[in-house]
Amino acid sequence: MERNDILARVEEIFRDELELDELKLTDETTADDVEEWDSLSHIQLVVALEKDFGIKFSSREILSWDNVGDLVDCIQKKL
Amino acid sequence: MVVNSLPFLWFFIAVLVIYYLCQQRREIQNGFLLVCSYWFYTQIDWRMAGLLAILTIIFWLLGYAVEKSIALKKERAASLYTNISVTIGIGALFYFKYLNFFAESFVAATSLFGIHLSWAAVQILVPVGLSFFSFKLMSYVLDIYHGKIVHERNLFDFANFIAFFPTILSGPIDRPKPFLKQLKQSRLFKSDSLMEGFRRVLWGMFMKMCIADRLDIYISAILGNYSHHSAISIVFAALLYPLQMYADFGGYSEMAIGIGQMLGFKVAENFRRPFLSINIADYWRRWHMSLTSWLTDYVFMPCNIRFREWGVNGTILAIMINMIFVGLWHGANWTFFVFGLYHGLLFIPLMLSGQFFKKSKVKTNQNGWPTSRFVMQMIGTYLLVTIGQFIFRANSMSEVWGMVGQVFSNWQGNIFLDFATMANAGICIAALIYVDIQEEWFPNYKLRMPRWSEPWRWELTVALEILAIVLFGVFDSNQFIYFQF
Repeated sequence: MERNDILARVEEIFRDELELDELKLTDETTADDVEEWDSLSHIQLVVALEKDFGIKFSSREILSWDNVGDLVDCIQKKL
Repeated sequence: MVVNSLPFLWFFIAVLVIYYLCQQRREIQNGFLLVCSYWFYTQIDWRMAGLLAILTIIFWLLGYAVEKSIALKKERAASLYTNISVTIGIGALFYFKYLNFFAESFVAATSLFGIHLSWAAVQILVPVGLSFFSFKLMSYVLDIYHGKIVHERNLFDFANFIAFFPTILSGPIDRPKPFLKQLKQSRLFKSDSLMEGFRRVLWGMFMKMCIADRLDIYISAILGNYSHHSAISIVFAALLYPLQMYADFGGYSEMAIGIGQMLGFKVAENFRRPFLSINIADYWRRWHMSLTSWLTDYVFMPCNIRFREWGVNGTILAIMINMIFVGLWHGANWTFFVFGLYHGLLFIPLMLSGQFFKKSKVKTNQNGWPTSRFVMQMIGTYLLVTIGQFIFRANSMSEVWGMVGQVFSNWQGNIFLDFATMANAGICIAALIYVDIQEEWFPNYKLRMPRWSEPWRWELTVALEILAIVLFGVFDSNQFIYFQF
């Protein structure tokens, strides 16, 4: 899967989970940029991403992401 | 040497002068700061300064080992070193603070099954500030493991972060990344931050000496001799206790942050107007924030990630573990365990109703004041917090039950009121509430002053704070409640 496609799908999942239809994600987006994206919704996002992509993240991976770019890189490595 | 004492004042003035005299050479300034921090710590507890130094070196080496292992793609080794550091950190806490408690509880538990063991309590000297600096040590290695920071090459800078004297005794618990970054920047004499820091120190002294120590006279008289007092007196004293705690620990934190600021450091904030919280989750986002944010990152989040498949139930379990940790962090006593458990249970209705997952926002009317519904929620939260603090304050669970029994059996007596104490504390509490409300809902409001006095605002504020301390303060240097943790 192309990196851009992964980002688009991640964006779709974020929109569904955070109920933000207009949300735009870039590699540089961080939790600070999206008010609804806090430590709790983060876990809901992780579960949704794992289900959708059919992958599993380790605790260390989840805790090491600084922005959406890191997250997309991590997914790409697993596909 | 307590922070609000004359010896500390002389020490700090001497530190400030020399510190800014060597401001052109950052290495010398940092070196001097480290010497001051260790000197300060030895004044409190000279036997434990060696332990502090040894733990600092061990964690610094472990940080290096973790980073090196990650660079060499040795995942297992990195994980092993991280686990070793957590084991040492928790192990030190366990040995110094909890060994007797767990051993005695274990003996009591086995006796229930007819097995009779015995445990002779060991006299262990607890290093002052251990609960605070051990958390800083652990977060350093964990942050390297999670790729949040790189290993600090300079051992002395790392030692400065761990032993920083304004916060070593009772926090706030700084995080490695922002603090180490500040050690790399030059800290030149700036009158603005010196003045603002000094004002915060005075405000902290006001909270501590005029409110906390004053209320302590009344609350200790009642709750310390509860069997001689009526239900109404006990309930009233219990209702005041959260305010005492806030003024005591919040006051200490203001002083630590202010002293840090006078040295050119931005120290982590610890309290954000906790009694304007509208529910328990909101309260814990405002109370002892440097501890709760630490536990959120290193206990709650990893647990929540591990239990993520279980949805809300997983989050509830993670919260329960987290809150019991909060309770037991304060010390080895069943009261702290029950305190944590109680707060954990208070989260469950919030989670089941979905409120926990939404950021709480207070609605205000056209004048900027919160609506009555939110005021009621704040009062309700305060009452819930009072019950928790009531358990927290007691020396044992049997004392809690004793006080509860007294509350339900002794309704006849009158309320015991010490009017001088109440009047003194009342005026100061009103000032504290005024400041909290203003900062929360009217941050841009400035008390109107005569035009001539405008350029003197800082001087007048400081003079007013000093005057209030002199007029209303209690001057027998009561120890801060949080020093014991």
